[in-house]
Amino acid sequence: MDALEGLTVLDLTSHIAGPYASKLLADLGARVIKVERPGGDPARRLGPWLGDEPGIERSGTFQFLNTNKESVVIDLKRPGATDVLGRLVRLADLVVTSAPPAVNDRLGITERWVSGVKAIPYLEVTNFGRVGPYRDYRLSETVLYAIGGEMYSHGTADREPLKLGMTAPLLQCGAMAAVAALGAVTAYEVHGIGQHVELALFDVQINSVDRRSSAILAYRFSGRVNARAAASGAGLAGGIYPVGDGYVEVTASAGNYWRRFAEMVGDPELLDPKWNDPRFQAQPANKEVADGIIYPWMLSRTRAEVWEAARAAHALVAPLFTGADIYDDPVFRERGLWTEVEHAVLGRFPMLGRPYILEKTPWRLRRLAPCLGEHTRAILAESGANASEIGRWFAEGVVA
Amino acid sequence: MSDGLLPLAGVRICDFSIVWAGQSATMYLADLGAECVKIENPNLWNPMTRAASPRINAQTAAMVPAWIGGHPPEPGPRPWNNSPAFIHVMRNKKSFTVDSRRPEGFALVRRIIEMSDVIAENLPKGTLEKIGLDDATIRSIRPDIIILHLPAFGRSGAYVEGRGYGSHMDAVGGSTILRGYRDSSPLTNVQVFAGDFFAGMHGAVATMAALRHRRRTGDGQTIEMAQAEASAAMFPQAALDAAWNGRVHTSIGNRSFEGFVPNGVVPCAGDDRWIAISCRDDAEWQALAAFMGHPAWANDPRFATPEGRAAAEDEIERHLAAFTRDRDQTELFHALQAAGVTAGPVMDARDAATDPHLAAAGAWIRLPATADYPEVDWARPPYRFSKSAVGLRTPPCLMGEHNDYVYRELLGLSDAEVEAYRAAGHIADGYAPDVIASA
Repeated sequence: MDALEGLTVLDLTSHIAGPYASKLLADLGARVIKVERPGGDPARRLGPWLGDEPGIERSGTFQFLNTNKESVVIDLKRPGATDVLGRLVRLADLVVTSAPPAVNDRLGITERWVSGVKAIPYLEVTNFGRVGPYRDYRLSETVLYAIGGEMYSHGTADREPLKLGMTAPLLQCGAMAAVAALGAVTAYEVHGIGQHVELALFDVQINSVDRRSSAILAYRFSGRVNARAAASGAGLAGGIYPVGDGYVEVTASAGNYWRRFAEMVGDPELLDPKWNDPRFQAQPANKEVADGIIYPWMLSRTRAEVWEAARAAHALVAPLFTGADIYDDPVFRERGLWTEVEHAVLGRFPMLGRPYILEKTPWRLRRLAPCLGEHTRAILAESGANASEIGRWFAEGVVA
Repeated sequence: MSDGLLPLAGVRICDFSIVWAGQSATMYLADLGAECVKIENPNLWNPMTRAASPRINAQTAAMVPAWIGGHPPEPGPRPWNNSPAFIHVMRNKKSFTVDSRRPEGFALVRRIIEMSDVIAENLPKGTLEKIGLDDATIRSIRPDIIILHLPAFGRSGAYVEGRGYGSHMDAVGGSTILRGYRDSSPLTNVQVFAGDFFAGMHGAVATMAALRHRRRTGDGQTIEMAQAEASAAMFPQAALDAAWNGRVHTSIGNRSFEGFVPNGVVPCAGDDRWIAISCRDDAEWQALAAFMGHPAWANDPRFATPEGRAAAEDEIERHLAAFTRDRDQTELFHALQAAGVTAGPVMDARDAATDPHLAAAGAWIRLPATADYPEVDWARPPYRFSKSAVGLRTPPCLMGEHNDYVYRELLGLSDAEVEAYRAAGHIADGYAPDVIASA
């Protein structure tokens, strides 16, 4: 049995944040009916491409974000479309949307409308919420991290602030939307209540444990404002070091961290207790001596060798992995981070798999991401529409 | 209703979690109504869990960065109750002190587990086992409990002994290599802790799924979430491009993975003021060009398409920075948005704390002062429920704040028994002097 078996989600979200939330539910067993616009979710136009060949069914971003879902295409701008959508609401236990409030209001897809059709939870994921001066402002992952996240502290003091890689802030928001969704579902199942749940991407970032909430509280407590560091690394040993085949991240401040780091390097000079003193470590001449020992030790080893030594010494040192390392890593492979899948159209390919291991209700792929509109006809029939209605909606372009 | 229709009303968590990943996972569950009982040991200092150091004072706090050192100006005798890095993850929780390593303390922990629905931990593997709490024992105490483990790199396989904070999880999860300056090596990268944040949310998701399964079947289960593995899902495109096409991604700086051009961070007037701008499609580019007054450089026909703009990205970024450099950050933000361009200021902590939108949207809740922290505005949880009383229900818990509740109400100990536990050093509002001296 899957943990979320028997739960049906009507998913009106697109792009990255919302679909990651519904993916987390789908991968734990929820049935997710994804409503796509004609032409498809814009994520279908984001790489990487399977075999480097672009195409709306070949997008890595889309394939990852939409595992275990079914696809129905509805043109919500067409007259009569909300009636069709209402039929799908009746199949669902949760509706999730990520369209801007102004768009949903225009289309008539509102909390009042959903609850009028069926008293189920309605999760609205927005950029900035429904209240406040930025309500209708636009966002990209870069702008989101700039306004909400820790961008101001990321990078070095002499240069511009830096964003995170790829589309990370949106995936973070998606994970928080899944927390909100499961909260809403639990209240529905336990207390029998449907309700409106709002989650603004801006709020998620402002609340991020990724130092932002700490920085704001620090300002309130002390008046101090977070800043970018003058340079990477701190103190005698810390930050990123080059090794024979890449880089490793090191934390070795005075105390146990330094002691274990020195034991890992194993050089008799560094094992002298005089080193394990913040004042001694702070002197530039001493750092030079330490670097003279640490750099050759690092450079004569691979990341795998350094990490093995670090684990043995319980030192806070870990390798910088690329996507290729995450794919090739034998330990992650053996633990099941990757799943080899067979797609009816695309053939066999590996898929990045579970974020967690649930002993009795394992994460699993019941089906791969749907082709555009793959389930339109079947789900409309399931909703009680007859063949002539369905035929008319296709002819009128309400569905596809 | 007394439970305020809270989703997780009646769910109790026995919380051994530390640092950010574990403590934020249980915070989300507490936000949603679980009774989260933190098990804290006055005779043991867990690094990076309540403060950088139990001895931090005004002088030493000033020596470390604001996010970890920005205590109230006088941290006072209990700095573990006012660390800006950690006190906020204590919201909606209860704190109970006991030395679980001693038999009479362990006996109480057993009783807490007996009455708990979830036990959460992210200690190095072996820590709980050493005090007698391996999974089998936990399950023998409470057969239907949900056990949430959040190890750094996994509880099986060769990385079991790996130790790490967020920066090390970010390294292995693939974040660090993807986020430096485009024109310099990863050696200049600084730390962020995205992995802690991501892992905490996933821990809460997995726990709620397991709770649902238990409601339906009566079965508890064990959840293992390796933080580094969860982090890999923050960059699925990098992993899949490697797996599918053998391509290795490194950092593209502030440029867009999604092909937006221009996309980046450019300077504004003033000291260290910046604005992020993305042109997500041709219409936004046209809107930007119009906003700038159609300067000659922007009229270049090559720039009409994303491909054409991408071929001249350096040039466009140079021109854009020259345009923004002397303009006011806030005015530019609103003017660009009004013109149809995706843009936003790089907010520092003060900007966020005083942001008019967040204030209007009710993002903050003022809580009264305690003996250890002043009256300030605290963040309201980001999700807003129209019926369930989800929110900042109880203030961030001070160490030992709920000892009376746990020892007397929950465990039902008599006055004499409570006094014995107090005399033996289990009941405290802080750490033992020798722990403070040596941590």
